[in-house]
Amino acid sequence: MTQRKRLSATQSSSQSRRQTGSLLAQEEDDDSTFTQPSSTQVQRGLEKLTPAQVDQKTAEVVQYFLVKDQKKIPIRRADLVKHVVKEYRNIYPEIMKRAVRIFDQVFGLKLVEIDTKNHMYILVNKLETVEGASPINSPTNPKMGLLFVILSVIFMKGGVVRENLIWNTLKKLRVDPAEKHEEFGDVKRVVTDEFVRQRYLEYVRIPHTEPPEHEFRWGQRADMEVSKAKILEFMGQLHEQDPQSWSQQYREAHSTPSSTQASTSSQR
Amino acid sequence: MKRARGGGDEEGPRQNGSAGRRKGDQQQSDGDDGDSAFGPADLQDDDNDPGLRREIRSKYRDLINSVQQNREDMLSPSNNKLTEVLEQANKLFKDVRQAREAALDAQLLVVATDLGKEKASQLFAEGTAFDPTAFAEHLLSFMGLNRLEDGEEEQNGGAVDGYLPQDAWHRVARRAECCFRTAPSFHYMMGSFHAEPPPPKQKTERQRKAPSKEAKRIMPTQLKKMEESHQEATEKEVERILGYLKSYYQDDPTSPISYYEFVIDPSSFSRTVENIFHTSFLIRDGLARMYLDSAKLPCIAPVEEGEVEAGGSCSRKQCIISISPKMWKELIDAFDIRDTMIQPPNTE
Repeated sequence: MTQRKRLSATQSSSQSRRQTGSLLAQEEDDDSTFTQPSSTQVQRGLEKLTPAQVDQKTAEVVQYFLVKDQKKIPIRRADLVKHVVKEYRNIYPEIMKRAVRIFDQVFGLKLVEIDTKNHMYILVNKLETVEGASPINSPTNPKMGLLFVILSVIFMKGGVVRENLIWNTLKKLRVDPAEKHEEFGDVKRVVTDEFVRQRYLEYVRIPHTEPPEHEFRWGQRADMEVSKAKILEFMGQLHEQDPQSWSQQYREAHSTPSSTQASTSSQR
Repeated sequence: MKRARGGGDEEGPRQNGSAGRRKGDQQQSDGDDGDSAFGPADLQDDDNDPGLRREIRSKYRDLINSVQQNREDMLSPSNNKLTEVLEQANKLFKDVRQAREAALDAQLLVVATDLGKEKASQLFAEGTAFDPTAFAEHLLSFMGLNRLEDGEEEQNGGAVDGYLPQDAWHRVARRAECCFRTAPSFHYMMGSFHAEPPPPKQKTERQRKAPSKEAKRIMPTQLKKMEESHQEATEKEVERILGYLKSYYQDDPTSPISYYEFVIDPSSFSRTVENIFHTSFLIRDGLARMYLDSAKLPCIAPVEEGEVEAGGSCSRKQCIISISPKMWKELIDAFDIRDTMIQPPNTE
């Protein structure tokens, strides 16, 4: 108990978590069973285990991430601890450190904590996709096309758009959110639920609107995964226009996201 | 954000201007009314005509609706639709007399202002403005839209998507792939494996089902046991004893069967008591009869099928048989009983 108190005092994240209220009460419950152990605790925990045991647990964590990542829904620390780490929770930081290294060196993936408040992780590809055909002729997911269109419109319109603009644009592309699409099924659900849960999009109600209207923004995963510069490049190609002619978007694409890109390229 | 707000401010005066103009129109029209028909009664009539009021309100609603529906089209810089709408509203406002209509006018103003704000933000954007309509058009070409067939239906073609090739969205997805740094998802080589076979569903079902099943299982077994141990078991035992009695009688119908020899189990007092108990049912149901032989010792014999009714009508007598372990031992000695005539049920 004293351990937890000390931690919550030092970690601003857990304090703010406490303030988020009833909605996150469930998650908090799960998470409260887990407290980040201190480095001395980890050290003591490691002394009691054989290296093989730690390796085994790390491998389990890596597999859990890979399997859970199939659905692209962020993985919660609480779930990870509950289902995989279990009694090894006292050396959790060490296991995560090793898992990050394995993803980095073996799989070429980056394990990112996208939500430090609720402790959610995603996997991001460290390697840039080569333009043109990918080496493995993997089947494309048409939903990525749909997502790409939405993200492009949001980006090109300055980061926030009303939902109507999205729906109208999609209608022009023969995708009516009111109808069942042969490829996407319930389009409205895919866009406002699936993409939102995967953290590609944020779908928020605009205050004081009657009837209620919503607006779209980029989600945390999109910020990590999607290259604005490349979207702009494609835009230029489509419109047969120099990407630099959208000067504002060009500036944004080549300023903010470059920080993440630089870090990955330096690691390589 | 700053820019957008600036645009809104920029638009503000214009809207005010148009509202001001409308005010002027209203005064003018008031003047007109005054000129043509000065009678206040007439004016009253015009004000209260519910049909006219309703018409004005409906026209306002139509206007608001059309602005909301065609918002994106109205935003495109190539047309002047917003001005047209405002002019229409000005015309409508001439006849506005009541608060409800004025409220609708205000609502339209809100919608129009919002539109104006966005139009202004387009105007002030640096560099080339992004036009989603043009984007959609280019994208359709990229997806391989067959424009030759599309031609005329450009406007209402939204409902018909037969012109797009099957792989239209795959094309977009493939081109967009390079913009994403998505981690390749993990697949099992030996067929598919669903990582999450609805675990919450199963859990709740199991939890709810489990206790009910158990309860169901326990209840019937308890009932069955009760039935067996009391009613059915007794009935079966009675029938079994009747079977013994009949077979002994058939072996030698002439020699009487001694009641004590029949009932007593020399190895078990309790079995003896049970036998007496069960045999009493045979007597009660008229399936067996007891009589005293020449030595005044009780004998037992089954009642023949034909005799049953006859026996039932004739005089019935009741008696109580008591037995104690001491009596049981004396009887075994007296009759020199070495073996039971009624085998216990489990050794059969």
